[in-house]
Formats: sequence, structure tokens, C-alpha cells
Amino acid sequence: MSVVLKLSRSNRIYRSSEPVEGKIVTNLPSSISHQGIRLTVNGAVNMQVRGGTAGVIESLYGVIKPICIMNKNVEVRSSGKLGSGTTEIPFSVLLKQQGENSSERFYETFHGANISIQYLITVGIMRGYMHKSLSTTMEFIIESEKVNLLEAPISPEVVVFYITQDTQKHPLLPELLSGGFRVTGKISTQCALTEPLNGELIVEASAVPIRSIDIHLLRVESILTGEKYITETSLIQSTQIADGDVCRAMTIPIYVILPRLLTCPTNLAGPFSIEFQVSIVITFQSDLSKLYPKSDPRTPRLWLAMETLPLRLVRAK
Amino acid sequence: MEFRERDYGAEESAYSLPRVPAKNHPLFARSLPYQVDVTDNGKDDFCDPLRGLGANMAMHIGDVEDVQSTYNRKLSNEAALQLSEKEWASFKRSLMQKFSATKTVSISSMSDVIVKSGKAHDKSSTSMHLEELDDPQKIAEEDVKVITCQEYVSRLHELKDEICHAWQADDRVTSLKLSIKVARLLMDTSVLQFYPTLFVLVTDVMDMLGDLVWERIKRRAKYADDGTIICSLPENFKAIDVCPDAKETCNNWFCKIGSISELLPRIYSELAILHCWRFLHDQPCESLQRLVMMMRGLADPLASVYCHLYLVRCAQKLLPCDRGYLITCINDISIILMRIISGKETISRYSSGNKKLLISLIEPTIEWSVKCMFTYQWEIGNLFAELGLGGNLSESSQNPPCISIVLHHIIKELPAEIVSSDALEIVQLIESSKDFSFDQHLNYTLLGFKLCERRPQMDSVDAVLVKVFQAVSQYDSLDEYLKVVDAYLDIVLQYQMENYLTIILDGISKRASDKVVAESELGSLQSIFIKLLTHFNDLEDAFALNHFVEILDVMYGTSRNTVNMHILNKATRNGYIRDPTTIQLLFEISQALHDGIDFSSIKDDDNQQSARLISHFIQMVDYGTEMDRHLTFLVECRGAFGSINELKGTLVHSSNSLAIKAMKGTNKHVSFVKSCIAFSEVTIPSISAGIRQMNLYLETAEVALLGGLVSHTDGLIESAISSLQSLDITRGSQINVDVDGIISSIRKLCSLLIMVPGNPTEGIFYIPKSLLSLVTSDPGVTPRLRARTLCAIISLSATFSQNTLPYHVKNTEVMGNDILFFGDPSYNQELSSISSISVQNLVEGIQEEAARGTMALEACNCIISSFKANPEISLICSRLMEIAKSCLNANDKYLRSTLNILDKHLACSRDACVVVV
Amino acid sequence: MVLVLALGDLHIPHRAPDLPAKFKSMLVPGKIQHIICTGNLCIKQEVHDYLKSLCPDMHVTRGEYDEDARYPETKTLTIGQFKLGLCHGHQVIPWGDLDSLAMLQRQLDVDILVTGHTHQFKAYKHEGGVVINPGSATGAYSSITYDVNPSFVLMDIDALRVVVYVYELIDGEVKVDKIDFKKTATAHSAH
Repeated sequence: MSVVLKLSRSNRIYRSSEPVEGKIVTNLPSSISHQGIRLTVNGAVNMQVRGGTAGVIESLYGVIKPICIMNKNVEVRSSGKLGSGTTEIPFSVLLKQQGENSSERFYETFHGANISIQYLITVGIMRGYMHKSLSTTMEFIIESEKVNLLEAPISPEVVVFYITQDTQKHPLLPELLSGGFRVTGKISTQCALTEPLNGELIVEASAVPIRSIDIHLLRVESILTGEKYITETSLIQSTQIADGDVCRAMTIPIYVILPRLLTCPTNLAGPFSIEFQVSIVITFQSDLSKLYPKSDPRTPRLWLAMETLPLRLVRAK
Repeated sequence: MEFRERDYGAEESAYSLPRVPAKNHPLFARSLPYQVDVTDNGKDDFCDPLRGLGANMAMHIGDVEDVQSTYNRKLSNEAALQLSEKEWASFKRSLMQKFSATKTVSISSMSDVIVKSGKAHDKSSTSMHLEELDDPQKIAEEDVKVITCQEYVSRLHELKDEICHAWQADDRVTSLKLSIKVARLLMDTSVLQFYPTLFVLVTDVMDMLGDLVWERIKRRAKYADDGTIICSLPENFKAIDVCPDAKETCNNWFCKIGSISELLPRIYSELAILHCWRFLHDQPCESLQRLVMMMRGLADPLASVYCHLYLVRCAQKLLPCDRGYLITCINDISIILMRIISGKETISRYSSGNKKLLISLIEPTIEWSVKCMFTYQWEIGNLFAELGLGGNLSESSQNPPCISIVLHHIIKELPAEIVSSDALEIVQLIESSKDFSFDQHLNYTLLGFKLCERRPQMDSVDAVLVKVFQAVSQYDSLDEYLKVVDAYLDIVLQYQMENYLTIILDGISKRASDKVVAESELGSLQSIFIKLLTHFNDLEDAFALNHFVEILDVMYGTSRNTVNMHILNKATRNGYIRDPTTIQLLFEISQALHDGIDFSSIKDDDNQQSARLISHFIQMVDYGTEMDRHLTFLVECRGAFGSINELKGTLVHSSNSLAIKAMKGTNKHVSFVKSCIAFSEVTIPSISAGIRQMNLYLETAEVALLGGLVSHTDGLIESAISSLQSLDITRGSQINVDVDGIISSIRKLCSLLIMVPGNPTEGIFYIPKSLLSLVTSDPGVTPRLRARTLCAIISLSATFSQNTLPYHVKNTEVMGNDILFFGDPSYNQELSSISSISVQNLVEGIQEEAARGTMALEACNCIISSFKANPEISLICSRLMEIAKSCLNANDKYLRSTLNILDKHLACSRDACVVVV
Repeated sequence: MVLVLALGDLHIPHRAPDLPAKFKSMLVPGKIQHIICTGNLCIKQEVHDYLKSLCPDMHVTRGEYDEDARYPETKTLTIGQFKLGLCHGHQVIPWGDLDSLAMLQRQLDVDILVTGHTHQFKAYKHEGGVVINPGSATGAYSSITYDVNPSFVLMDIDALRVVVYVYELIDGEVKVDKIDFKKTATAHSAH
């Protein structure tokens, strides 16, 4: 006995102006009678504030009331019978009311550490008290309306960076300070979600051998609690671009494909905001590092040098 | 029985065909009308079908060429792909074979997939979090485990199966995760020699993953979820043919792979599915360029170059595009090599000793990349510049370094015409690349060989040679010097640059003196000598070269033998050898060769070849009028080359020939002829094969007879008979005995006897009688040998009975039996008795012969032609004919023609009888 | 029309270093369709290879000094309407005897019998058959004489007609004679 939702699009991506279409597929060993088949479409921003390293007050820990984006309940079938075997019931649900223009409300789907923007569609087959109702839920993904999008390609905003022992705000290994190092490069700070994050860097000099160079993609989630924004920065993805003590003066490309769902357009909604950063982290060879095998890669260490830049993500056509 | 009378002179004139001078003949070069005729006829009868075929073939070849050029131009078809598949497969095999030394591998815990078998896919894979693609244990621990290569390999095979199974179970996430783990194994380059094997194994897995993904996307492009066909994707589909769903899937794969944290597994994974770009773009070449650039992040030289190799390989599966990525590849590999060579930057783990090994491990990747670069018929054009090799040399410090091993492979793959036209540029490049990755002299060598393939213009040859010889003159090592000059020798010879030839020989002599030449040097010397010998038409010109003999003398062993053989071969090609110095030199060479023959394996081809050449040399020696000197030479040869059996025959032939030469002069040389005969007579007994011995005795006997030395002749014929007696000619041992040859020689002896004056002291027919007793006394003698010998004796007797013999020896001092015993009744009587015994034995013996039908006919023919017809003869003949008829088909042509001749013969005698009556 | 080169008794290099240059310059590849060689080439390889280069279809019988046991004592072949027989001739008693050669001709059942050994060119018509001796192509000394002119024979066989060209090197000049004969249909009607 099963009920399955099948959306019309295999990637499950819809825009708020589009109806979410699909089929309810039941597979039953014998026919059953029901008291109606209902679809529920729910969109919400869920937020939580965790205690942790960022010095957030313990008392604030906890779940914050979610922001409802939409909640819709539609009866697909009134009470009746479902035959044995496979039955397919098509459906189509409009997300927005006719004439409603609240595209801003339909934030893009995002799965973060503290903030998650999620759209769910649930089917329920009511069968009275005697029987457990059959139901299933599926997530679908909302992307911004095409009409509101920037014209692609977005203008490249490239930042030139250089990383030396002098640009580091945290203490470094003495040999790093004495020997010195210089890594320069450029990286785009505005990036379309469907395009890779591009850039390049050159290790111009380094007295201490390099162990690795990684590009960290960070999300900065801020939640308004009371009067204050509580902001937490966490790592989404780490991409190694250099493994070992690479050749000096060679251009090494930075090429990071942005992970879906884990990224969304930079969002400064008010009650919460979702922003991104990119961080170039150089790890130098050091025996000390072996003592901390599982440390948070964002923690400044003696053998690390880094440069963190804001990254504006946009949805482009 | 009465012998039939013959008049040889009358017969000759009666039956000779008339001979008239020919004004024209087929071999006349300028006989136009005739020749035209010949060729025309030839066309009609013979050549036309062939030529027709030839024309067809030419057309076919044309087609093939057409196909090939299209293929080269487009190279988009499956065949090309398959071809590269095959090449790749064999390349991988050779890669594994080349580096298969190590038995065990130490693995850092990084490769936990190998050690902790099976754990990897225990984790639930239902919820796919991208982080999971990364191994949580990123930092290598110090503990190192050691397993055997075999275990490693079998573990990888297991993994491959696991990946495959997971995929089939629709657990593609696990498949991918495991594949990434497999790719991670290539991060550990500490395995060194095992790395190429590891590479092959890992890329096998990655290729499998790539194919699985490809097939999956293709399915999605072809069929909808419910199995209905959306699009019958053609073989050479375009991105536009692919439905959005399939594109989405494809894109997802690239996203998934893009999220792999570590660089090396990410690159390998993307390369594995690189060909899937085709679903998204028609020209996915940008990715190649990006991936090459990304590889710069791989600091480990070994990991980096093998990653490049995989890229070049995977790019082959795409449509050919701009070769820019290959240029970058090769340039980046050059930079990596430069780092290794210069040692300026620390590359941990690789000590200087390991650097050589490292270079040898890297070499195959260069080889393949360079080969790929020349696979497509790209414009070579500014290739040098692109590779940073060409242009102004003073600016070249800006360019990527020119590494000798890279240069080597480029020269190797460069088309000959490019090498030829850009030779000077290339030689300058070689000059500037002196690193230890590849011996500079081998690059000079390679260039030399390439230039021989397509010879450049004279002036540029000169410029190139100046450079090359400047460089090699600095070489102390004989081996290096030889290798290089050997490569340029053909050009030097072809352009007749005698000055360089002098330089080369001086150079070799300087470096070879006072040292024992090594094995590899011998090989080069051999090649050099053979080129010299092939070049000079006249051996004496080669001998006259400075240091030629001196350098030859530093050689030894099989190379020396090979050169010696070439010299002898050359010496004996152009007629007689007359110069005493040359003869002496060749004699010494022959001695060296003789000393090199291993008599334990005389059957060996080389040994036989040596023996043949020495013997040929002896035959070609000609001292002209100094015949005594010549005979002395033969004596010396007998002493020097005594252990070669077949040579003795040669010596006998030579001395006999020398005797004839003396006779042709004046008769003053009788004593000299005697010396020659004596030499032959002494030499023959040491020849082992009996039948050869006999034939040589007979030849010597003939020569002695021509020289008028009758008693010598007698003695020699006796010796011939004794060597015949020593042959085992009985029935039991026919297998290895050349019975036909023996019979022929016996018959030849009989014909020879016709010229030999009967010896009254021994008995005039002493020799025919000994032959007769030889075949009749021993009942074991082969019936055929007996029968044919008896026929021979009958024919001989019939000939002896004639008033005038058919021929006499060309020596007026030797009188024939026809003169010596003319009218001697005992002479004729003895002949009659010999012949009647022979006939009797012949007829009796026929029954024993297996092929008695034919034998009976032969006997019958012999008797008819030897005797006058009379009742006795006709009785014998009809007996023989009965035997023949009983064994042969009545239509047998030999039977019919014998019956014919028999009828004629008997009719003729009947007529004669009638007249008498 | 078929050209058949008949030669023999080269005795190279025992009695002569090579074929006379004048012969060699005439013998060019491509003209001749068959080579028949009566034997006594002696150093088989070089000479054999040379002859093969003139024409790959080559038939050789064995002389007493030929070491190659693969050469048979006699050989027959059919060219056009003619059956040819080949034998060295040292086995014939007496050498070059017409009656003995006729016996051999009957035995081999051939129209043209080619033999050598005497190193003297001969051509006979006898008992309906033709007997040819091409002589010694190198002028090697024979069992009987050392006075030998190098000679060979080229047979131009065309239907029932044969023209035999005799090439003889006399005092340094090649003299070419020809002999013309026809196969008499009647002589062999019995066959």
C-alpha cells in the first residue's frame, strides 16, 4: 500500500507564478474507500539560533517562530473509492492567488545551518478513524521569477587580493613571519548561481612549503531576535585548488561550482538575512597541524593564512 | 650378341638443325620492331589482366587514401575512436609491464579504501549530503601499512565490482563515492614504480564510471521515464538533440563532482565524465583548457603528469578541437620537469637518486601527450613557438624551458619533412637542452636518423653538421660519439662529405684506442662499418680509409664477425680479387671469422654463412699469372680453414681450375699442373661426404686427363671407385643415401672412361669390371642402382666397340682406346663378355626392382640401342617388354614409344636378314 | 609467344666468377617468361637469386656439383603446345650421344629435350623430337675440353613454331644465331 507524489518536473524547480503540477500515484493491493484526498502546499522560513562559538547568549538558544510564506490546502478528490492496483490522480496547484504580486515573499529555497527556506507538498488520503490515513510529503524548489532576474551575464565584479604575512590578523608561525610569503590573485565577488565562481591566484613566494590552498564558500546567516541580529558564519563547501607546494609564479585557476540548495541569492529580507563569503585559505606545512587533525578549517591557526571576501550571489537569467 | 655400329660424325651432320645468323633477336636492346612486337604481345596475352588489376588496385588505394584523408581531417567517426582505444589499451599494457618491479606497496592510511575493505559503503547513502563525498580523514596519519601489489590490485578489482554492483542496484551515490575513493589513491605517489600500474587500475575504474554515467544520460536523452522514446540519439548527436531532463541529469553530475573537496579526485572524476560534456555543449574544449590549468595545483610531479596523461586520454573521446590544451599540457609538464631537474624548489621525497626514476616514470606521459599532439593533421606552423621552443633563442629564457626528454619525443613524432626543413632550429634546441632527463647525444642521434628519412637541402645539412660535430667533438665517451656519428653517417656518405668522414674515423680512432670496446659500442661500430661497406662500391676504397683497419681491429665477438661477413660478402660481389694487399687483409678477416665459428653448432645459420663467405672469397682470389703464388695461397687456406669441411671442396675446385688455367697458357706448366692435381688428391680424402669425394675425384681425374697425366687419371679414378665402395649402397640403408646422385655419378664415370686410355698392366677394362663386380657381387645392392649401372656398362661397352669413339679428350698426347686397341680381337672379345654378363644380370635383376616396369623399358631401350637385332636380342627384349606390360598401363607413353622403336629395330634387322639370305 | 631462357653449366664460382658481363647486360628482367637450367650452377644462392630476378618461374635440374638436393635429376614442363624435358646430361652415356638422348626423350615423353654437360651448343632433330644443349653460359671448362665459348639459348615458342636463338660469346663478341623448327603434328599423332 503506497502513495507517491510525482511532480511534472524531474528537477522539481518551479517559479512562484507557475502552478505546481504532478500526479498522485497510489498503489493498492485492494480497493479502499476514503474520505477525500487533499493536497497541502506549505512554504516557510525556519530559523534556529544555536549557541556556539560566535559568543551568542545562551538564553537565546532555541527555535524561532518560522515565517510562513504560504500555506494552501486543496481537495483533489472528494470522498470515494480508490481501486486496487495503480491509480494516478493528476493535480495542479497555483502557488499565488490570482493577481497577487508577492514574488518577494517567495524566497528561493535554501538549506542553511540556521535558516532553511523550504517548500513542501503533502498529499493526504483520509480514511476515517478506523484506518490510518495515507500520506506522503515531497519538497519542491522555488527559484526566483524570471521577470525579476538580472540580465545575464551579470557584470563581473572582480576583486584583486594579495595575501602576505602582513595581511594576517592572527598569529603565524615564526618561520612564516621571517621567511614571508606572497600569494596574489583575483576573484569575482558577484556571481550568478548557475555559473561557477571564477578567479585565479599565483603563489609568488613562500619560504615555507605550502600544504594546500582551499577556497571556502561560507554562508553568513543573520536572524533578527528582538532588537539584535544574531549572525553565524559557517562553511558550505571547501574546494581545494592546490595540493602541495605548488610551482611559484604559475597561474592557478579558482573554479568553484556553487552547490544547489545550499546557496541562494543573497537575501536581505529583514527578519533574517542570508549572505555569502569566499575565503582563500593557505595551509602551510607544519608538524603542529598534525596535532589538530579535525579542527574547524575556519579557525585561524599558526600555519594558516587567509583572505575572506564577501560574495554576492544572484540569480541570473 | 653383336654391338650396333655407330657413325657419330655422320649422325651429327644428319640430325643437326641448321643454324643461321640472326639479324634480330628478343634480347637485342635496340631491335625496335621486334621489341615493340614483344611488348605488345605481352600486353595482350600476359600483362593485361595484371595491369587491369593493377589499375583497379590503384583505384582502391586511392579510395583508401581518400578515406584516410577525410578521416584525418574529421576524425569524428567511431573508427578513429576505436583506433585510439586500441592504442590506449596497448599503451596501458606497456605502462604496466615497464614498471612492474616492486613487490610490496606501503600505503598511508589515506588509502583506507584499500586497507579497510568494505567499510566505505556501510554508511547509509539514502540522504546525499555533499560533504560526504569527502573523506572525513583528510589528514594522513603516520602509520603506514604494507601490502603486496597483488593484494592491492585484487582489492582494486573488488572495488571496481562493488562500484558496478552499486550502480546496478541504482545506488549511484555509492558508486560515485567509491570511485572518488579510488581516485584518491592516486594522491599517494610514494609508491613510485607502482604508480603507473595504480594509474592504469584507477583510470580503469574511472573510465567505467564515466561510461556508466554516459550511458545513463544517454538513456535519459533517448527515453522518457515511462520508457517511451523521446529521441533516437544519433551517434554524432549535437547538444541541441538532448532533452532538458537529460541535460539536467548531466549537469547534476558535474555539480556533484564539482563539490568534491580534494583537487586530484575532483579532476579525475571530471575527466572520467568529460565526454558527457557533449550532452551540454557542442564544443566542450574550454573545459580542457580549464582542467589543464587546474592541474597546476597538483604540486606532486608524478601525480600531476599522470593527471595530464589522463586528460589527454579523455580528450580523445571528444571531438578534436583546438590543440591549445595539449600545448599547455606539454609546457606544464616541461615546467614540472624543470623543477625536478633544477632542484631549486624542494620536492620532498625525491632524492637525487630517485630523480632518474621519477623522470623514467614521467616519460610515458610525455610520450603519449606528444603523440596525441601529432595525431591530428594540425598545422605544424608555429608549433615550435607555441611550445616555446622556437623563435629567437636569445628570448627563450622567457619561454618554458626546453627539456631534453620532451624535445626527444617531439622530434620523434615530428613528421620527417618538418624535421628536414627545420633541422637547424632543432639542432639549436638540442644544443640548448643539456639536462639529465635525457642524454643529449641521443637527441642528436635521433635527429640524424630523422634527417636520413627525408634528406634536407645541402646547405642546411652543412649547417646542421657543423653544429652536431661541434657538439660531439666534446664527447669523451666512445659510446656516445659512436651513436651520434652513426646516425649522421648516411647523410655524410650520401652527400659525399669526405671531410666529415675523415673527422668521424679520426674521432673513433682517438676514442677507441687503448680501451676495451664495450658491447653497446660494438653495436654502433657494426652499424657504422656496414654503412661504410654498403656505400663504397669498391672494397679497396673502404680499406683505404684512414683508420679503417685499425678500428676494425678493436672489434671482437659477433659484431666483428658480422662486419667481417659484410666485408667478405662485398669482396666477393664484384668479380675476382687481385690486389695482394686486399687478399692478405681478407685472408686475415677470414681467419678471424673462422676463429669465431663455433664448431659445436655448425648447423647454425651464421656459421654456415661464414663458411660460405670464406669459401666464396677463396674462389674469387685471382693471382693472375702468379699461379704458384695462387697455389700457395690455397695451401695456406687449407691450413688456416681446415676445420670447415665444405671449404675443402672449394679448395679442390680452385686448384683444379688453376690447373686448367695453367694448361690454357703453355705446356711448360706440366709440373705445375701436377702440383695442383697433387694438392687436390691430398685434400679430397678429408672431405667427409662420400659422393662429394667421388665427384671431386672425378673432376680431378678429368683435369689430369686434360693435362695428359694418364697415370694420375687412373689413380684418381681408382680413388673414386674406392670412395664409391665406401658408400653404403645396399638396400637397407637407402633412407639417407642419395641413390639418384650415386647412380648419376657412376654413369658419369662411365662416360668419362670413354676418353681414358685402357691400362694394359691393370687390364684394359679393369675399371668397368670393378664397377660390374661392385654391383653384382653384393646381393644387397639396391636393384635400381644395380640395373642402371649395368645399363651404363652395356652402353659403355657398345661405345668402346666403335671404330671411332664419339669424343676424345682435348689433349693430343692422350690417345683413345679406338686408336690404341684398333683391331685388337681380345679387346672386342672382352667387351662382348662384359656386356653379355651385364645383360644377363640386368634381365635377371629386373624382377627385383619395385618400379620394374619403367626399369624394364629402360633396359630394353639400352639393349636396342647397343646391340644389333638378332633372335637372342629380340627374345630378351620381348621378355623385358612383357615385364613392362605387366606393370604398366597399356597407354603408358614410354611403353608405347619403346614398342614403336622396338618394332622399327626388329623390322630393320629382318630386312637385313632377308638381304643376307 | 613465350620466351624461354635455357642455360646451364655455369660452375660459378668454381670455374668462372660470374656470367659474362655481355650476357648479363642483355638479360634484363621482365622479358623472359620461363627459365630452364640444366644444372651445375654450383654456388646456388647468388646465381639462383640472380636468375630468379630475371624471371621468377625457374626450373633447374641437378648437375653433379650442385649441392642442392632439391633439384631433381630430370624435370618436365609444358609450355604452350610443347612439352619440355630437362636433364643435366652427365648421366648420359656417352655424353651428348644422340641415341642415348633419344632414349631419355622417350622416357620423359617430351617434344624438346634440353641437356647440358658437354659445354657445347648443340641442336638436333631426331626421331621427331628436338634435342638442345645450350652449352655453358660461363664458358667453363668441361670434362672434355677447356676450350669453351660461353653460350646460352633463348627459345621463342609460338604455337607450333619454335625459334631457337643461340647466344655465343666468341672473342668478346656476342654472336646470335637462330634455328627455326616446327612441331610436326604427324610425328606425335600417336600420343
